[in-house]
Amino acid sequence: MSSVVKLSEAAVFKWVVIVGIAGALVVAVTLLTRPLVGSLVGLALVIAGCVYAYRWLQQKRHEVGAKK
Amino acid sequence: MESATVAVGHGHADHHHGPPEANESSRIDRQTLGILLFIVSEVMLFGAFFASYFFLRVVVDPPSWPPHPYTLPVGVAGMNTAILVSSSFTIHYALESIRRGNRAGLKLGLVATWMLGATFLFIQINEYVHLGFSARDLSFGSIFYSLTGLHGAHVFVGLMLLTFATIRAFRGHFGPAEKDHLGVEVPGIYWHFVDIMWIMVFVTVYIL
Repeated sequence: MSSVVKLSEAAVFKWVVIVGIAGALVVAVTLLTRPLVGSLVGLALVIAGCVYAYRWLQQKRHEVGAKK
Repeated sequence: MESATVAVGHGHADHHHGPPEANESSRIDRQTLGILLFIVSEVMLFGAFFASYFFLRVVVDPPSWPPHPYTLPVGVAGMNTAILVSSSFTIHYALESIRRGNRAGLKLGLVATWMLGATFLFIQINEYVHLGFSARDLSFGSIFYSLTGLHGAHVFVGLMLLTFATIRAFRGHFGPAEKDHLGVEVPGIYWHFVDIMWIMVFVTVYIL
C-alpha cells in the first residue's frame, strides 16, 4: 500500500489556499482595471494551475514507479 | 467424525481470515482513484455550466453585465465567500487534531465546519429571496441560478456528509491512524473541492 499514489486532505487544502490567493489576485486586477483583463488573468492562472497539477501527478507516478 | 470436521475447519481458519485481498494493479491507491475520478467528473459538470455562462455572456453581449436593471449583492457574496473559505480551515484543523489524537479538536473542528457551511447555505437562500429576479428572467437569471444553485446543491451534500462524520465523532469513532479517520478525510477532500469551486463561481459570476 505504501508504493501507490495517495491523495490526502492536507494536499487538497494546499490547493484551497492556492486557488484562494489566485481568486484574490483576479478580484484585485478586475477592480483595478476591466473585467476583460481580469478574465484573461484568470484564464492564464487556470491554465498554469492545470499544467502544475498535471506535472505534480506525473512526478508522483514516477516516484512510485521508482520505489517499485 | 464431528471432531475431524472441527479440526479441519480450525486449520482452515488459521490460514485464511475473511475474503481474499483485492488485487491492486494500479499505481494509484483505491480511495485516491475513486475520489479523483469523482472530482474529475464534477469538474466537467461545473465546466459545462461555466462554458454556458461565458457563451451566454458573449452571445447576448448586453451593454452592462448583469443586464440593467438587475444587480448582484457583491458585498454579501464576498462575506459568504469568506465564511466558506474559513470552513476549509476548520475542517483542516479537525483532521490535524485527529491525526495527533486530539478528539476534542476533531469534534470542535467538525461542528465549526458544519455551522459555517449551514450559515453559507442560509445566506445564499436569503440572497435568492431578496434578489428581485428569478431563473425565468432573461438568460442571465437562468445561468445565475443554475451555476449558484448547482454549487448550493453540492454544499447541501457536503453538509450531509459532515453531519454523518460529526455524529460518528461524537459517538467515539475515528482514530489517529490513517485508516481510522477515512470517514472524515474523504468528506474533507469533498468539502475543499466545494470551496475551490465556490471561489471560481464567486469570481466569475459576481466580480468579472
